[in-house]
Amino acid sequence: MINVKIDGKKCTCEKGEYLYDVAKRNGIFIPVLCRHDGFEDRRSCCRICIVEVEINGRTKIVTSCVYPVERDCIVRTKSKKILEERKVIYALLKKRAPESDLEMPEGFDRLVSLDSGKCILCGLCVQACDSLGSGAISTVNRGTEKEVNTPYGNPSVSCIGCLSCANVCPTGAIEFKETANTRTIWNKKFKLMKCEECGKVIGTPEELNGESLCDACKKAQVAEDFRKTYTNA
Amino acid sequence: MEKQLKKIISAYPKDRHYALAVLQDMQSKFNYVPEEGLKMLAEYLEIPESQLYSMATFYKALSLKPKGKHIIKICNGTACHLRGSMNLVSGLKRELGIDPDETTADGKFSIELVNCLGACALAPVMLVDEKYHNRLTLEDVPRVLKEYGRK
Repeated sequence: MINVKIDGKKCTCEKGEYLYDVAKRNGIFIPVLCRHDGFEDRRSCCRICIVEVEINGRTKIVTSCVYPVERDCIVRTKSKKILEERKVIYALLKKRAPESDLEMPEGFDRLVSLDSGKCILCGLCVQACDSLGSGAISTVNRGTEKEVNTPYGNPSVSCIGCLSCANVCPTGAIEFKETANTRTIWNKKFKLMKCEECGKVIGTPEELNGESLCDACKKAQVAEDFRKTYTNA
Repeated sequence: MEKQLKKIISAYPKDRHYALAVLQDMQSKFNYVPEEGLKMLAEYLEIPESQLYSMATFYKALSLKPKGKHIIKICNGTACHLRGSMNLVSGLKRELGIDPDETTADGKFSIELVNCLGACALAPVMLVDEKYHNRLTLEDVPRVLKEYGRK
C-alpha cells in the first residue's frame, strides 16, 4: 500500500496504479482531453493532465494518466507552476485546432497557427472505432501531415455509421450530417432505421444487425413477455 | 499481379506481427505497395485495412504510389544543404520536370529528398539506386542522368 497526498488529501493506492485514476477515485478532478474511461489504452498525447509529483523533496512534472505510482509521494494538481504549464499546453492545442471549441488562454497572441480544423490528433476516435465500430479509420501519414482518415480517403467500406468516433471526440472534430432518413459520415451515406413501435430513429442497418426496436420499446417488450409468462394471460 | 501478391503474403504466418515484413516485400517487388496488396493482406491477417494503411503511410520506406525504375535520393543533410543540394533539386526539376516525391510520366525516375546519407565529406551527395554520386554541381546533373538512360 502506498500513501499519496494529492492536493493535501490523504489517499492510498496499490503500487503501479496510475496517478490519474487514484485522483479520480478520491474525487480530485484532473482535466484531460485524450482520455476516456471506456478504453484501456492511455494515449497521453494531450498532456493536459500534467501534475507535480514530489518524492523525497524533489519535484517533477508528470502526465498523471500514464504515471504509475511507485512510492509515497506528494502530488499537486493545481499549483501555480502546473496551471501555468497547462495553460501553455492548452494554448498550443488551441493553435493546433483553431476551429475547435477550446478557448484561447490570454497572452499567447504571438503564436501563429499553422493548422486548421478542430482535430487535436488524440486518436480517441480510432480507439473507439477499433473497439466499438469496425476499424474503419486510422491515423494516416505522420508528422505535420498526420490526420485521421479512412484508407485512401475513400468512402469507408467497413464503416457501420455508428458515430462512436464522433461521440468520443473531445473537440467535435468529426463531421457528420443527418437528415430525417439518412446519415452521412466518412463520405458514406447510410439509411436511418426507425423503431417499429414508436418510430424513433435508432441507427443504421449496418450497426443494428437486424435489431428493429428502440431501447425503450425493447424494454417494454421484454416486460410484456414476462408479464405474459407469469400471468398466463 | 494477384498471383505474385498471394505468393508474397502466403510466405508468412497468419500473424499481424508480420504485416510490416509483408509490406516491405511488396515494396521491393513492385516498387510500391499496391492497393490490392493492402486489401489481400488485411483479409489474410483478419485485421482492418485501415491499420495497414496507417502503417503504409507512416513508414517512409513504403510508398503507395508506383515509384520509378531509378530512385534518385538527394541528400539534404546539413553539409549537403550548405553545399547546394537544393541546386541539384532544381537541376533535376529542369531536366525531368518533377519535384521531390514525384515520378516522371515515363516511370523511369523518382526523386526523394533524404536527410543524411552518411557521406557528408562528399557533399553534396546524390544516391541513384545504389550508387553514390558526389561533389555534384548543377552542371553535373545531365551527365549523371545520362548514365541511367536519359538522353
